[in-house]
Amino acid sequence: MSKYFIPILFLIVFLFSIIKKVKPYDAFTEGAKSAIPFAISVFPYLVSIFILTELFEASGLSSAVSTFLQPVFSLLGIPAELTKLVLIKPFSGSGSLAILSEIYTKYGVDSYLSRCASVIYGSSETVFYIAAVYFAGAKTKKLTAPILISLVASFISCAFACFICKIM
Amino acid sequence: MNVIFALVCSISMIILLFINPDGVLTAFLTGGEKALSLATKMIIVHAVWMGVFNLLEKTKLSNKFAKLLSPLNNFLFGKVPESAKGFISLNISANALGMSGATTPMGIKAIAELEKHKNTEYAIAMFFVINATSVQIIPTSVLALRASLGSASPSDIVIPTILATFLSTIIGVILVKTFIKKS
Repeated sequence: MSKYFIPILFLIVFLFSIIKKVKPYDAFTEGAKSAIPFAISVFPYLVSIFILTELFEASGLSSAVSTFLQPVFSLLGIPAELTKLVLIKPFSGSGSLAILSEIYTKYGVDSYLSRCASVIYGSSETVFYIAAVYFAGAKTKKLTAPILISLVASFISCAFACFICKIM
Repeated sequence: MNVIFALVCSISMIILLFINPDGVLTAFLTGGEKALSLATKMIIVHAVWMGVFNLLEKTKLSNKFAKLLSPLNNFLFGKVPESAKGFISLNISANALGMSGATTPMGIKAIAELEKHKNTEYAIAMFFVINATSVQIIPTSVLALRASLGSASPSDIVIPTILATFLSTIIGVILVKTFIKKS
């Protein structure tokens, strides 16, 4: 079902542009033109975010913070084995995917921990990454409140995920 | 962002100074390398989607789509310029359907449109929080990974994921509505 979605969407758009007499070639090219300036404007933000994640991981700080936060997390029902995933997810999509597959192979893909990890991974986003990319070209720099709100909401839903996997 | 960046980076560097001083520059360069490879991928993905979006905009299809979702838009964002509504609706739908390539270009367009108008800080915050709390209904990458590792039933996690996703978004929306002033 979902594999038809994109081709059909593209087809509708192209057919519509013929009906509406919008020059499809000109319009498409004009849109595509913005890709390179966009990548250039976003690149410095990506560099900073990736350096942050690299340092966080390489220094062992992420492990230290996970160990430190484990008691708080387990109080909320988040298993100690998943602390690192919860911490890395807001920073890095590829990093958290690596942790997720590590959890799968270590504990078995159908275990409680793995199911929990799947739900946590699938129901949260890379908050800092989104903030960096979406606001790369924006004038607004008032991001603290929205970022905090997103982190709090995601964290509560992580605890909820661990709870719901226990009963379902 | 400045505080987080400064704190995490300096603490990490202090630790690395003791355990592995060479690791500092390596981490900076690896970060840059990863950023470049992602940016290259982005050029391609954006060229394709921005091309399609420009057609969507020119044919006014995006406006029609926005009208379909306007009750939801009005509830979440309040008064928002028409031009931004189309991109907001497209971004949220693409997000929900897990079309990961399409969401970022549309999100950036939506924010750029919102910024052209005054008093849209609330809408921008709401839009960001909805994106950052995930609205994806089907976690495609998780399902694929589980299946590839021989899970007995990879789709076990779909319903819990949907519930958790909804919960985080609802909490996010409530928090924005309580803490960020509508202008």
